[in-house]
Amino acid sequence: MSIINYAAKVINFKVVYYGPGLAGKTANLQYIHRCLPETSKGKMVSLATGDDRTLFFDFLPVSALGVRGFTTRFQLYTVPGQTHYNMTRKLVLRGVDGVVFVADSQWARLRENVESLRNLDENLKEYGLALAAMPYVVQYNKRDLGPVAPLDYLEYLLNRGARRVPSFEAVAVDGTGVFDTLNTVSRMILVKEFGQAQEAHS
Amino acid sequence: MKAHDVVIHEADATRIDAVLQRFLGDSSSAAALLIDRSGQPLAETGTARTLDIGSIGALAAAAFSSTAALAQLLGESEFSVLFHEGVRESMHVSTVDEQTILLAIFDERTTIGMVRLFAREASRAIGVILEETRKRPKRVGALAAPLTADEARRASDHRPA
Repeated sequence: MSIINYAAKVINFKVVYYGPGLAGKTANLQYIHRCLPETSKGKMVSLATGDDRTLFFDFLPVSALGVRGFTTRFQLYTVPGQTHYNMTRKLVLRGVDGVVFVADSQWARLRENVESLRNLDENLKEYGLALAAMPYVVQYNKRDLGPVAPLDYLEYLLNRGARRVPSFEAVAVDGTGVFDTLNTVSRMILVKEFGQAQEAHS
Repeated sequence: MKAHDVVIHEADATRIDAVLQRFLGDSSSAAALLIDRSGQPLAETGTARTLDIGSIGALAAAAFSSTAALAQLLGESEFSVLFHEGVRESMHVSTVDEQTILLAIFDERTTIGMVRLFAREASRAIGVILEETRKRPKRVGALAAPLTADEARRASDHRPA
């Protein structure tokens, strides 16, 4: 859910990075945090276990150039991927405006991806939301590791819902695909919120 | 439960600020923050203006929602108040309505009882204002016309330094 503040001239959106454990959700946020200029980001907060696994969530607020005098702020969150943390995953999804599903491309992790996607769908339903109706992109991460599944197979498994959504190959630790993913989901959220004018064709 | 968008106009912001200011005066708290339960800050006053309200909003909403989940496990609908006591400063978080919480930061100049009493009063007043904001159309004024492709691109373009 968006929050539009006409007094502060700010529009706030919430984006959640979802996916199985160790798929690279936190790595996405860490890369964004490392690379954005100070003026476009806030502090990154990570609630992690001693061995750096996400316990509750990571949080990173970022802002883009804005529109018509309003600053557009995107609050980025990750969820804990491990199966037994479903209660906390559900809590993080509250009020979500857009979702990035971070899949692990390795053959050995395909089942976890499918289960996590199903879990995402179930948890969204509890808030009266559906993936098919919301801004949503898929990121196939860890393309540098092997052996990884071919792209069309991943698309067949994870991106064959009511509509095909934009998808990106990524290596989150070195930044490949990270900003393409973020910018695309951000744009989809804005267009859903405010509509997009038809371009005049000459 | 489905979340609803919030649209705060200038007049709403002024009314909310007046309630928060009165709350600070009555309860002798140092800071007050109004936070959506999804973690997004809606308004702040007092020394909150100097704090990292983005992080505080995210963490306080998370603490409050996990406490609510705990309450449900115990058969309660929710715990309506959360209190953290520090050496110098303490924090009181309470329910405004189904979507919003009020966070107060205070020190030894007041007591938890005072904060609790006036938080309840402020919450009622803010709840009425927020109810109105949820019914407002989103696309008004500068945001009435759909975005051009260029505007949508610029407003979503995050670029590495």
